[in-house]
Amino acid sequence: MSFDIMLHTPTFILAMPLLFAFLTILVSKFSKKFGEMTFLLGLLLTGFFVFLMSYRIFTDGGWIYTFGAEEVTTRNFFRITFIADGFAALATITIAITAIAAGIYSFGYLEKEMSSDKFYTLFLLTLGGVNGMVLTGDLFNLFVWFEVTSVASCALVAYENYRGRSVEAALKYMVLSTVGGLVVLFSIGLLYGQYGVLNYALLSGSISRTFLDKLALALLLVIFAMKASSVPMHMWAPDAYGEAPGPATPFIAITSLGSLFVLFRLLFGVFGVGIDTAAIGAILVILGVLSMFVGVTMALVQNDLKRLIAYLSVSQMGYMMMAVGVGLATLNTVEYQNFGELAMKGGLFHMINDGVYKALLFLSAVAVIHKTDLRSLNDLGGLAHKMPYTTMFFLVGALSIAGIPPMSGFSSKLLIYQSVYLYNPILAVIALVVSIITFAIMGKVFFNAFLGPDQGLTDGEVSNVMLSGMAILTAVVILFTLFPNLVVSEIVTPAIEALTGGVLP
Amino acid sequence: MTLESILMTLPYITVVVLFSLGLFTVLFKKNLIKIIMGIALMQNGANLFLVSLAYRRGEYAPIFTSAESTDMVMPTAHALTLTSIVIGVATTALLLSFVIMIKRHYGSINTDDVRRCKE
Repeated sequence: MSFDIMLHTPTFILAMPLLFAFLTILVSKFSKKFGEMTFLLGLLLTGFFVFLMSYRIFTDGGWIYTFGAEEVTTRNFFRITFIADGFAALATITIAITAIAAGIYSFGYLEKEMSSDKFYTLFLLTLGGVNGMVLTGDLFNLFVWFEVTSVASCALVAYENYRGRSVEAALKYMVLSTVGGLVVLFSIGLLYGQYGVLNYALLSGSISRTFLDKLALALLLVIFAMKASSVPMHMWAPDAYGEAPGPATPFIAITSLGSLFVLFRLLFGVFGVGIDTAAIGAILVILGVLSMFVGVTMALVQNDLKRLIAYLSVSQMGYMMMAVGVGLATLNTVEYQNFGELAMKGGLFHMINDGVYKALLFLSAVAVIHKTDLRSLNDLGGLAHKMPYTTMFFLVGALSIAGIPPMSGFSSKLLIYQSVYLYNPILAVIALVVSIITFAIMGKVFFNAFLGPDQGLTDGEVSNVMLSGMAILTAVVILFTLFPNLVVSEIVTPAIEALTGGVLP
Repeated sequence: MTLESILMTLPYITVVVLFSLGLFTVLFKKNLIKIIMGIALMQNGANLFLVSLAYRRGEYAPIFTSAESTDMVMPTAHALTLTSIVIGVATTALLLSFVIMIKRHYGSINTDDVRRCKE
């Protein structure tokens, strides 16, 4: 049997970040330049394998990658599975685009840092952890990658440990993540004690409506919603996003998005068969509406640029939870054909959209903070004169997050408005109002920080490396803007089929 | 209810006590070190829960001896517990190192004093 590299891509997507995480810190001992190149190579190789895996998924369909025994039996414990299907492709593509852009950006940002090698190592470890979380096919593995992501991303938040505030934010995040991880472990125990299996596919066949199943579902839902920074468990997010070192900020946001991907996988793939989907879908919708509304309201009163975008990110998470919640609530009914599928399309398209434009917003905000050393909107002003490119990138991100036509954010939000209107008209009204408030907030930020007379806050544009990191994301946003149909039909639709079709055995 | 069935539920009662004690400490104590001690209690509770689940009456430990392989207990839960212990050490170490840095920056480890992020 020949070695089919395409078949083994899921392993490489995990192996590359983990291998290069430690190679980078080793090479950096000899030369900083080579260390950076090792880091970049690790990122690009991960992206390359994500591309290969997605290509095979989109052409030949998904497959299950197994470590150990190939046969599926309940007593076969030397078996770990990775699920390489359309949903995993959507998740890993989103993660890879953001990681590569933020990674390139970090070269410019960390130019004068002495210990940048530690940053690169933690960054790659987080990347490996998130990829593992979205690819894995059993709960044991999920717990391990959950903890890898928690430890690496918390250490990343505390990277600028000469500031007390970043350590404080990291401690909050870490306490929540650790308690969350233990609750996940507890609910894994509840499921294992009943059925003796941890594999998603085997579990989904045996889940019934026992009290313990409901308890496990509730615990998992709460913890992954917490990691996805959904209101009312969003308290850690503004602190962690606000205090994380600049280039890592979009990546901490991506770990939240990764948790949301895992939550959807668990709800549809593991619990989807045995639970009351209408009720759980309604809970997801309620969480989504709360996140949208509270997030945007808190963003209104923020003065700190990064915290403001963090709250907007909480509110964007709400859109996805609401849309996918509508999809889950109508699953297996006639209504799913009418509007549920459209809601899923909107929700999942919004996830990949949001991952990209939010990263762009964070990176351009960080560019401003990096150049001026100011974070408060009251102090900023007139930056467009000296930083024309950053201004342009910020504008693209701002228009997209506000859902202004024809930007990519508009295409996904339009799908959401259309479909949730048929589920409940009030939801569509709330979504529209939140969008309008988001536009107002972005307008305020743009006028405050970038327009007006030049106040001499900065001596010029950020370095070309940082600009190119933002340019990659801008290019992707514009690509999504120009070809929304292509993205929906080629990337999002296979993901929905994989999600609702159940986990491959 | 026989004595044996009471004894069999004893580990689970201990799990509930450990877990709730830990959760109580995390939620209501103001000293950061005590919060981390609460997390450690919860970790032990979760580990004990998994180990108790893995116990099956009349089956053998999963070590390859002359016993029939179908009579052996599945070692999944044991593997999970070992993994969880290792992860627990890592998270506790990271949490404690955060507390050291917080003490350096804030001069206090009381949660009332450690709230600069909200300003």
